[in-house]
Amino acid sequence: MLSRLPIPFAKSLLGQVMLVVAFGLLVGQAVSAVLLYQAAEQRREAGLVNAIAFRLVAAEQNRGQRRIARRSERRAQRDAIFAERGANPTAQGDRRWRRFGLQRADAFTPLPTDITNPALEQNVANVLTEQLFDFQQVQVVERRAGDDPFVVALAKERAQMRQPAWKDRTVLVAGVELPNDQGWMIARVAEPPRPAAIAQPVILQTLVIFVILFALLYIVLRRITRPVARLTSRVDAFALNPDKAVPIDEAGPQDIRQLIAAHNAMEAHIASMLDEKDVMLGAIGHDLKTPLAALRVRIESVKDDAQRSRMAESIEDITHTLDDILSLARVGRNIEEPERTNLTALAASVVDEFDDLGELVELADAPRIVGTVHATWVKRALRNLISNAVRYGQDTKVSLMDDDGEAVIVIQDSGPGIPEDRIAAMLEPFARGENSRNRATGGAGLGLTLARAIADQHGGSLTLSNRAEGGLRAEFRLPLAGIDQAA
Amino acid sequence: MTHDASVSLLLVDDEATLREPLAEYLTGQGFDVREAESAAAARTVMQDIRPDLVLLDIMMPGEDGLSLTRYLVESQNLPVILLTAKAEATDRIVGLEMGADDYVVKPFEPRELVARIRSVLRRANRPELTASDEGTVYGFEGWTLDPLKRKLTDPEGVLVAISTAEFRLLRAFLDHPREVLDRDRLLDMVQGRTAHIFDRAVDNQVSRLRRKIEPDRSNPQFILTVRGGGYRFAAQVSRLPKQAH
Repeated sequence: MLSRLPIPFAKSLLGQVMLVVAFGLLVGQAVSAVLLYQAAEQRREAGLVNAIAFRLVAAEQNRGQRRIARRSERRAQRDAIFAERGANPTAQGDRRWRRFGLQRADAFTPLPTDITNPALEQNVANVLTEQLFDFQQVQVVERRAGDDPFVVALAKERAQMRQPAWKDRTVLVAGVELPNDQGWMIARVAEPPRPAAIAQPVILQTLVIFVILFALLYIVLRRITRPVARLTSRVDAFALNPDKAVPIDEAGPQDIRQLIAAHNAMEAHIASMLDEKDVMLGAIGHDLKTPLAALRVRIESVKDDAQRSRMAESIEDITHTLDDILSLARVGRNIEEPERTNLTALAASVVDEFDDLGELVELADAPRIVGTVHATWVKRALRNLISNAVRYGQDTKVSLMDDDGEAVIVIQDSGPGIPEDRIAAMLEPFARGENSRNRATGGAGLGLTLARAIADQHGGSLTLSNRAEGGLRAEFRLPLAGIDQAA
Repeated sequence: MTHDASVSLLLVDDEATLREPLAEYLTGQGFDVREAESAAAARTVMQDIRPDLVLLDIMMPGEDGLSLTRYLVESQNLPVILLTAKAEATDRIVGLEMGADDYVVKPFEPRELVARIRSVLRRANRPELTASDEGTVYGFEGWTLDPLKRKLTDPEGVLVAISTAEFRLLRAFLDHPREVLDRDRLLDMVQGRTAHIFDRAVDNQVSRLRRKIEPDRSNPQFILTVRGGGYRFAAQVSRLPKQAH
């Protein structure tokens, strides 16, 4: 009833915070990965555009000045320009590979496998215009290196292009139509391999952040959840047995410490109130029972036997009511541990008590049923239930059975029963059935309440129902394993 | 009951409302009753006379009933019956542990009190019926009976509820194992009862007790019926030192 199931990780504070943080981190990292990728793409494109444009510009200048510079000077010149433009010179080997001579042609014919890239085309045109390059039109395509006849021809002369891997690389081809029918100038630049592993550092980074963040979160959250868990189990224990205040250590962040301090104070307050209640009830019990005892002695001098026995009954009723009140106030405050008890023998004992008083109660044969209970209390509950049946009905029958770990004790009579709409109210303190169960027949209406409180105390239940054949049926259920295991 | 005339009782209770009518009633029953309103007063009375039995309220201002009980039992060797307002087992056990012979819970039936007084006196006068040491526990065939707590447990250690009459009957058997006890003798030992609660035929009580302890009721192996009237407890009985709880 009260014991807590372990909280699933996803529902715990720790789990929820961690899952939310993990999700947020994942989204953030994904967005930044996309941005990084885009920036890298842009940089790469800009590098390509610059490289190819400057090949054309440099060739045009050379052509214009009619000066053939030495190769090394040209390279130095170009590298300087590249550096200035922020281009990204690649590895030495690759750079050598990428160097293709300029081609002059009468026309530029794109191949069917070419991929046109209008954005690149526009960028190249812009750079050329900036460099005052005079041109008719520009066409830029991306082409597989193995498809380009110029590159293929070149490859035969080059040692480092003997490996067939180069064929699948992409070459950016830019054709510029020069003005005044001077024909086309075609430049080629091998695209540097795409940084395929751009995701790898992002994933690695994410993992590192995850590990560090989770370690920190775990430490911080444990500081909160551990004292909260201790508090929860303490509240459970106190609810079950509010006899003694057991303060728990104030631990964790200040908010939690304050909560624990508040709980400790409340527990101490409740425990002392309950103690006061016990002292008060003890005093009431003592103060009322002594005069009752005196009265009980005095009526012995009454000569009329009938009168005397009626007086004795009244005193007995008062005593029972008083005991019920005191018990109801104390139920659940057990000093003694529950014990393994033979419930069948216990029921027989109660039935025998009624037998001794001349009340006929039928006890059905039952197997030996053993349950961990507070025997005195269960006895009291059965006594009240049977007494109720005997008082308001006839043919009281008691039966016991073991229903899957629960003892079911059924007490039924063939009396008038209880109107359906009154059944719930009958279990409330001081309730009594109307007409058929009036005050003249005695009882304070606490018997059923106490029986139910005792069932509750054991983690069981008390159910009242009207029998189809007429009469009341009380079903008293007790978990056999005891409250702690049953809950 | 003419022999009661010589029996003197000391009634110790701080509540005059109960003490006075009770003293009157007990005097009417043929006892010679002295009253005391406190433990100190009781000690003073005891300097003059030595009662046969003391009736003692547990809850009293000043020295309480329990400490007086210890004095009466240990120093004076007097039988004591406690009067208590609390029905709680712990009080009762403490009282019995202090050496009290019996107890009644207020409000008690005066006739029951008289029956208890006679029963205790009878036990005190007949050494063979004197209660065995309350600190020991009886054992038979795996069963145990703790006379102090009036607890019967079966060989599995499971508590088996028994009534006061059944307890007394079983104890009588356990005190006299393998002895034939006729109905009169059993009734004598089981008495200390009010007429209408315990005045059932011994056979009836034996039958109830059998229902609780005999594995097979139709073929009893503990409580055997002896032809010619009477019963015999057949199992071997041991006295175990009190278990620590």
